Order: sequence, then C-alpha cells, then structure tokens
Amino acid sequence: MSSRELDSYRPGGQPAQLSDVLERVLDKGIVIAGDIQINLLDIELLTIKIRLLVASADKAREMGIDWWQNDPFLSGGNGHGKLEDRLRRLEEKAGLPTTPEEE
Amino acid sequence: MAAVPVPEPADGWYLYGIVAAGAAPPDGAGVDPGHGVVALAEGPVAGLVSRVSLQEFDEAALPERLADAVWLEEKIRAHERVLDSALAAGPVVPCRFCTVYRDDHELRRFLADRGDVLASALRRLEGRVELGVKAFAAAVPKGEAAGAESGRAYLEARRREQQEREELARTRAELVRDLHRRLLAAADDGVLLDLQSRELSGRGAEMVFNGSYLVTDAARFKQALADAAPDGFDVELTGPWPPYNFVPEELGRP
Repeated sequence: MSSRELDSYRPGGQPAQLSDVLERVLDKGIVIAGDIQINLLDIELLTIKIRLLVASADKAREMGIDWWQNDPFLSGGNGHGKLEDRLRRLEEKAGLPTTPEEE
Repeated sequence: MAAVPVPEPADGWYLYGIVAAGAAPPDGAGVDPGHGVVALAEGPVAGLVSRVSLQEFDEAALPERLADAVWLEEKIRAHERVLDSALAAGPVVPCRFCTVYRDDHELRRFLADRGDVLASALRRLEGRVELGVKAFAAAVPKGEAAGAESGRAYLEARRREQQEREELARTRAELVRDLHRRLLAAADDGVLLDLQSRELSGRGAEMVFNGSYLVTDAARFKQALADAAPDGFDVELTGPWPPYNFVPEELGRP
C-alpha cells in the first residue's frame, strides 16, 4: 500500500492539528548535531512554552478580534484589565517575555 | 573550510530529513518562503535541505524566535509540509525541528559517516507509515449530590458518584490496554504518547487515548480500529505521518 492512498485520513484535506504536529516535530524524529540547534536540555521546557503560546494564540483567534469589547473587565479600562494581568502572570510563570504594556 | 555551493555567507542549510539518494525533492517552499527544497545526495542517501538565513536561525536569534508563536507555527507547519510531501514519494527519516548547518560540510560528513545505517533505516520504513489514534471520552454526567435534600441523601449520592468515578477510571484503563493491544496486532510497532490536555487538543472532550503506530497494511489497521473502537468514545485516526516515533534515536549519534 502506498502512503498516497492514506491521504484521505486527514478529514477534508485539512492540515493536521497543530497539537499533533507539535508532539511529533518537537519531541520526536532524529536529532543530529547540526551546527546550530536548540539546546536539547531545554527541549521539554521549550515544548511547554510553545504549547502554552500556541494554545493562547488559538484561544484568542477563537474568541475573535473584538472579544475585549464585550468583556466588562476590559472595556473602558486603560489597557490594564484583569485578563492582561492574568496573561502577564502566566507569562512570568512560564519564563516568557511579557506582553508589552500598551499596543 | 569546504566549498559552499551557493556562496551566500549569511545563509545556512535547514535539514528536514533523510531520503534515499535519487528521490526527487518535494516541490514548494521550505521554512524560508523564498527558497525551495533540494536533495543533497551523499552515497546511498540524501538530505532534504533548503537555504535559511542564519540571522533568522542563528543560536542567538533562536530563543527569541521560538517565543514568537506566529513565527513558530509557520515554521513548524512548513517543516511538516516538506516532510509530508517527501513521504508521498517514498520513505523518509524525519529530523527534529530546527536542525541547521552553517554550510554543507558537516552535513555531508554526517551523511557519509552514517549512510549505511540511514539507508537500512529507510529500507525498513519502505511501504510503512505512521498513523495516529486518539480517543476522547464523552462528557461525564454532572453530580447529583449538590441537589440532595437531606444529609443522608447527600452522602448516598456522594458515595454513588465516587463509585461511578472509580468505575469510569477502571473502564478507561481497560480501554487503553485493550485498544493498544488490538491495534498493535494490526501494526508493525506502536507507542503510547502523552495525553493532550483540553487546551492543547482544542477539544471539549477529555482525551483518554493517544497512540501512534507503524503500519504496513493500512486497510487492516483501519479495520482493527473499527472493530476495537469502544462505544461512547470519539475515536480519531490521523496521518499518514512521517515516522517521527519510529526512527531509532541512535541514528543521529556519531
């Protein structure tokens, strides 16, 4: 059986779910000592960070671009809403660069 | 210093995976939209590579890039797309994301040193693909204890809920064992992967099974999955994947 015949497994030709791609591309496959590479000791931490980032980016997309307008905590604020504080705390916890104060 | 085919000092090579020498490189762009993928042949094998800017992929720049979810998703998707296309043409040994060489010298040396092992790994993968199987649990009914009228009714309801939870945990453990065993019987190899959280899977339902299998006879595997798929669970088949989970780690070691 050729692998081509299996293409239909991806429903409707949709790209694979990012979570499925991540768990393979970042965690698996052969590791060759290229001239430049991610420090392998950090790969697990990196994976967690990426997953967190991607998950929050997906969430933001799901919610749509005007989600804050309907949020009583955020509308009418000065850009220091509760959600932003929570995001900053999460980012600090994950050791990520924090979101700029103001867009 | 070895000869660099395209003398652009700010560029390096991004390596996607290894294919048999003579295999046509996939069409389309690589992780850098401006550069296509080429097959760098060395003995019986070839590295699938494309040019990347070292400014973008240098060790110093990478940590910051990796924290950029948009950049990262784009590059990871591109990495996967190249390997998917390669897989449609023949076996491929996939490399982990972000394997970059400053020039082709070290890459050629690796291919020359490990050519025989890589070639035998490719032969082993011939005609086989990696297929993923995930199962999600249906929603668990809400507890009734909260609505109980008397203390005794509350305690009884709590006890019932506790029993139901234990029963559910047992059922799921059995499901995982049974499903994995039956899928392994229709595959050449198989591994259980970490379960993905709801946030990661993007599903409301809880993931209870996440396995990946190296498969020769896909029709047989699909049938085994249909036969083994338990009631009350949403089962999902993904792939074909480049065999990320089925290339021996030591292939990359010198």
